[in-house]
Amino acid sequence: MSQKLIKIPFEEYMSPGSVACPGCGGNLSMRYTQKALGLNTMIVIPACCWSIIDGPTPSSVNHVPVFHTAFETAAATASGIKAGLHAQGKDDTNVMAWAGDGGTFDIGFQALSGAAERNEDILYVTYDNEAYMNTGIQRSSATPYGSWTTTTPNKKERPKKNLIEALAAHHIPYIATASVAFPDDLIKKVEKAKSLRGTKFIHILAPCPPGWKTPPEITIKLARLAVETKIFPLFEIEEGWRYHITHESSGIPVGQYLKPQGRFSHLTEADYETIQRDVERNYKILKMKEKMSKEISAMD
Amino acid sequence: MYDPLEDENGQPRFAVSTGDMSWNKTGSWRYMRPLYDNKIPPCTVGCPAHEKIPQYFAYVKDKKYEQAWHIILEDNPLPGVTGRVCYHPCEAVCNRGDYDESIAIHNMERFVADQNLKHHIPQSFIRDKHEETIAIIGSGPAGLSAAYQLTLLGYTVTIFEAAEQAGGMLRLGIPEYRLPREVLDKEIEDIVRLGVTIKTAIRVGRDIGMDTLQRDFNAVLIATGAYKSWGMNLPGEELKGIASGLSFLKEYNLTGSAPIGKRVVVVGGGNTAIDTARSALRLGADVTIVYRRSKAEMPAVPEEVEDAQREGIHIRFLTNPVGFSGNGKVEQIRLIRMELGEADESGRRRPIPIKGSEYTIDADQVLLAIGEVPDLDFLPDSFKLKKDRLLVDHFQRTGQPGIFACGDASTGPIGTVVDAIGTGKRAAHSIHQYLSSKTVHIPEEPTDGVPFDTLNLDYFQQESRPQERQHHSTQLKGDFNEVNLGIGEDDAVYEANRCFSCGTCTYCDNCLIFCPDVAIRFDVDKHEYVINYDFCKGCGICVQECPRNAMSYEEELKWA
Amino acid sequence: MGLVLNEKMKKYFDPETISEIKVIEGTHSASYAVELARVKVISAFPITPQTSIVEKLSEMCDRGELDAQFIKVESEHSAMAAVIGSEATGARSFTATSSQGLALMHEVLHWAAGARLPIVMANVNRALGPPWNIWADQTDSLAQRETGWIQFYCESNQEVLDTILMAYKLGEKVMLPVMVNMDAFFLSHTSEPVAIPKQELVDQFLPPYNPELKLDTDHPHAFGGLAMPNQYMELRYNIQKSMEEADRLIPEISREYARLMGRDHGAQIEEYRTDGADYLLFTSGTIAGTTRLVIDEYREKGIKIGMVKIRTFRPFPSRELREATRRCKKVGVIDRNISFGQSGIFFSETKAALYNSDHHPLMNGYIAGLGGRDVTPTNIREIADHLINSKEGQDLIWIGVKNESKTN
Ligand SMILES: Cc1cc2nc3c(=O)[nH]c(=O)nc-3n(C[C@H](O)[C@H](O)[C@H](O)COP(=O)(O)OP(=O)(O)OC[C@H]3O[C@@H](n4cnc5c(N)ncnc54)[C@H](O)[C@@H]3O)c2cc1C
Ligand SMILES: Cc1ncc(C[n+]2csc(CCOP(=O)(O)OP(=O)(O)O)c2C)c(N)n1
Ligand code: SF4
Ligand code: SF4
Ligand SMILES: [Mg+2]
Repeated sequence: MSQKLIKIPFEEYMSPGSVACPGCGGNLSMRYTQKALGLNTMIVIPACCWSIIDGPTPSSVNHVPVFHTAFETAAATASGIKAGLHAQGKDDTNVMAWAGDGGTFDIGFQALSGAAERNEDILYVTYDNEAYMNTGIQRSSATPYGSWTTTTPNKKERPKKNLIEALAAHHIPYIATASVAFPDDLIKKVEKAKSLRGTKFIHILAPCPPGWKTPPEITIKLARLAVETKIFPLFEIEEGWRYHITHESSGIPVGQYLKPQGRFSHLTEADYETIQRDVERNYKILKMKEKMSKEISAMD
Repeated sequence: MYDPLEDENGQPRFAVSTGDMSWNKTGSWRYMRPLYDNKIPPCTVGCPAHEKIPQYFAYVKDKKYEQAWHIILEDNPLPGVTGRVCYHPCEAVCNRGDYDESIAIHNMERFVADQNLKHHIPQSFIRDKHEETIAIIGSGPAGLSAAYQLTLLGYTVTIFEAAEQAGGMLRLGIPEYRLPREVLDKEIEDIVRLGVTIKTAIRVGRDIGMDTLQRDFNAVLIATGAYKSWGMNLPGEELKGIASGLSFLKEYNLTGSAPIGKRVVVVGGGNTAIDTARSALRLGADVTIVYRRSKAEMPAVPEEVEDAQREGIHIRFLTNPVGFSGNGKVEQIRLIRMELGEADESGRRRPIPIKGSEYTIDADQVLLAIGEVPDLDFLPDSFKLKKDRLLVDHFQRTGQPGIFACGDASTGPIGTVVDAIGTGKRAAHSIHQYLSSKTVHIPEEPTDGVPFDTLNLDYFQQESRPQERQHHSTQLKGDFNEVNLGIGEDDAVYEANRCFSCGTCTYCDNCLIFCPDVAIRFDVDKHEYVINYDFCKGCGICVQECPRNAMSYEEELKWA
Repeated sequence: MGLVLNEKMKKYFDPETISEIKVIEGTHSASYAVELARVKVISAFPITPQTSIVEKLSEMCDRGELDAQFIKVESEHSAMAAVIGSEATGARSFTATSSQGLALMHEVLHWAAGARLPIVMANVNRALGPPWNIWADQTDSLAQRETGWIQFYCESNQEVLDTILMAYKLGEKVMLPVMVNMDAFFLSHTSEPVAIPKQELVDQFLPPYNPELKLDTDHPHAFGGLAMPNQYMELRYNIQKSMEEADRLIPEISREYARLMGRDHGAQIEEYRTDGADYLLFTSGTIAGTTRLVIDEYREKGIKIGMVKIRTFRPFPSRELREATRRCKKVGVIDRNISFGQSGIFFSETKAALYNSDHHPLMNGYIAGLGGRDVTPTNIREIADHLINSKEGQDLIWIGVKNESKTN
């Protein structure tokens, strides 16, 4: 089979008519995630683009219950919902916190860390568009090195926070990265998360055309390049230590990913080199971790 | 009744949703419109018969070989023939060639044809019924293709063929080890079964006059090919043992035997030369080919040249005869070395003799295969010729009312079986237009194929093309068994899948999968994707992620 | 129980209605109320002096006495967010906090009310830092006045227990959250005999919570989505209407509770010896208890003074206060809190409530006992005497401040 065919569940759990921008990776992330979760699901949405995308009262683009909550509370509210359902014997319902990178890496990190440490039986998904988009493209700790935002008018000097590792340190059953360019991989991960009890965390890179200053049609292209350049590798971590790369990045030069994006337009060849070097190193570390965890597994 | 959702004024009592967002017609945001827009692949353009290659591949993927065959039959009634002898210009322009290796389209065609050797072209292919009758002169691929298409259009067709058997050069020229006669017979028989009458052993101009045909038929198509061999006008050319390669082939192909020498020299670099040489080899001779340019300029199909060399034929490149000698019968051939100069009008570098480089080799038989021209003596002088061929316009019209020409006899793309099939098809449509009172649209012929750089290669991986199986004989003498054996089923299915299907939707679902706005669905009944323009925001992701450029993106204003 | 009951106490501790009498701290009083209310989800974060509520509840859950989920969150903010989540599923939920914790919750207090979730929270009134101070002060809860929470202030451990039970009933009827306040240490850590009502009676009083709208996969709705300017105001209007409905329901619920349990703490206010009073002292929380003694003492002396204990701060009992002051000459409001730059908060609210009344008594505002300083009978006498002798109203009178600048 020459074309890599993508197969995803047919059923849709979202209506059309969402107010997401054309080409929004966040909208697509939700569409895929719900395909894996199905109707026995509740979604908690803190402040983020998705608080708008879901629709104004009295409408919701989602066909499952949605609870809008304050910016920093996604994980805590989801914990409460789970507890409330548990108290009523409805343990099989998937409770998903659905937050932007700001609501996850930054202001919501405390609540997320708390929930993860308690190993709440929730799925926490962050659709990461690498800035506070809802408020007009301000930097977050998920904004990558070199990126322009309205609050880093020159460029961001610090690297993106490695949240995955921070979560791995919580020893939760399941952590994964996912991409809208790999919907089958994404859905498989959500399905796996759904089958596990305890805290599951999925980090989806979700390109944002207005925020990244890119034409809407290349959303998928960029998401794929992020993976293939090793900038955003696809992998999962079980129990905080068993690493497994789910798609081997082909190692395209980072420039191919960065150049089409307006937010990186000021970068120089020297910047590309710096980024390339970091990316290579990080990927090596990831590969070593995968290897190490395999070796440790074999010892057991 | 207290409604928890709404108060008496229909206002939400709480900030609670009561429905989804499908009221919000985001289609109004759109300024670019994606649409499904299948386009012609380069292979189809490159194929002179314009076979719908990715379309029939789609059936091969599902192992629906009869349907695949039916798609080919729309454009070519002789796939078993072309699948063996076509020089496959489609493959030269195949986009896959720019990626890894071009698709083995040629072998695919053969595979499909071979799967259907037991099937016949269904009568249901005949779409219409017309009173008019048409005479076709010549039963080569051009005449057969035209006869077939005209029959499907509903006309009554009679072919007049000078030879004892139908098939033209397919039978007279091309040797059996390349085209087994069962295959040729089967495909001609299929055409006859549809209702085409072939009158063999009738030479127009000798047995029946052009005027009679013009009188008795509503239209006449000249498809007499080119079988008059060029001479070289060299000293000693009249010696016994010197003949045209084509006459040698004809004799062997029609009778099963031909006089053969011990040391045979074949002059020329085209398919006739190679076929002559390899046939002579199979009759037991020691064969040398003499060709005035280098290997790169050889008009023969490279694979054939390779095969010839592998079989032990010695080729003297950059060499040309300057004369023959012998005692009543040829005994020696005098040769001169050549070098390549400036390019000529064919684009190939002109061979120039190197002074003083002459030398002599022994030969007891010399077969000249330096080109053939049509024999159009049976036509009155009123017909215009160009470079010995019958001058026709793009619609294969000769300028004489009701008289058309195609294939090697006429000007235009000539020299190959598939060109003959292509021009025969075009002639059929022209004749149909001529005969219909109403205007008939001659199917537009594709000119531009989907360019390679418009494909989205993210979904493909590099894969190699399957190798054709071959029959290699240790004892070549007398072995006229087919050498090339095509590809097997696994390879065919693999290859159908390897094809990018440039410009032709394969229902891979990418558009539907990647639409962020749930605006695309698949209509199972119509078997097609439907874009809901009420909601499509025009982001263009579907167009971008279509791997094969089967969608387009147009300014919305165009649709306003 | 070894407890000797006098006549008054017998009314309180009617053996017909109670399962036992426990001598417990105010915090535990709250815990027992939670147990009786059959709360399903608890989430809390420790802070002195609320901790014993949480510890007791943890024990109860641990021992299986209380069949509830206890989410031990990492902050008060998350505690409130968690009970917002659980309450939204239709599970009766509870949290407790104090001071800094309550201040941290502020944003989500709005969320709870805006989302119309009848959460009940016990707040132990404690001073805010800096400087650190863990003792009684009402400024923490009063600072939450615009959040849309119903607020009760309790005088005794018994009242804490009873009020929490009534709070669930009230909140669930009007779909607003309820905060039940008790003074740090004076209640939270002072043991008193508390009648534990029989579970059947509580169940009769407080049926299981089953809201018409909740997170339910069978009836999916989105809650709290964007409301446009043409919708938001109506939603706020609805909250105010529910507050007004609460105002109407509080006496009803108190009466029902009294009928079932035999105990009546009053409704929005409780009047103490106000008949024919020329002077009224307004109090809340534990200061009311001390004030009662002084009132008795003055009445003995023939001084026509009475006390009004304000039980609900939101909805504010404006109507009741107008009624109560209709015939009095002077009102003194004692506040264990301060709104800097203005006055005591009960004072300014009361003054505002009486402005549209046709009767305008002289009004004095007294600040006393901030940060847990004792408000002694001497202090109350000082206040009473000051009020009786006042010629004109004064908004801000500090009681017992050592370095009060006399020029002010
Ligand atoms: C040896 C050889 C090998 C070849 N190999 C290949 C190959 O591998 N691939 C390829 O693509 N092409 C090949 N060709 C070329 C190909 O065969 C021709 O281009 C093609 O056959 C032309 O088709 P046609 O119908 O125009 O003419 P033809 O095939 O030549 O058919 C013309 C027919 O008309 C008949 N005829 C002529 N005059 C009259 C008349 N007056 N009355 C009645 N009938 C008449 C002839 O007898 C003949 O049957 C080869 C040619 C030769 C000679
Ligand atoms: C406590 C609080 N602070 C600030 C805001 C304003 N605010 C709303 S959304 C948002 C940014 C959200 O960013 P992110 O989580 O990355 O989601 P995105 O909008 O990018 O999808 C901010 C700053 C808020 N709603 N609440
Ligand atoms: S701003 Fe970005 S993330 Fe937000 S809706 Fe638009 S595309 Fe999506
Ligand atoms: S890849 Fe397929 S469709 Fe494209 S040119 Fe080649 S054979 Fe034709
Ligand atoms: Mg963001």
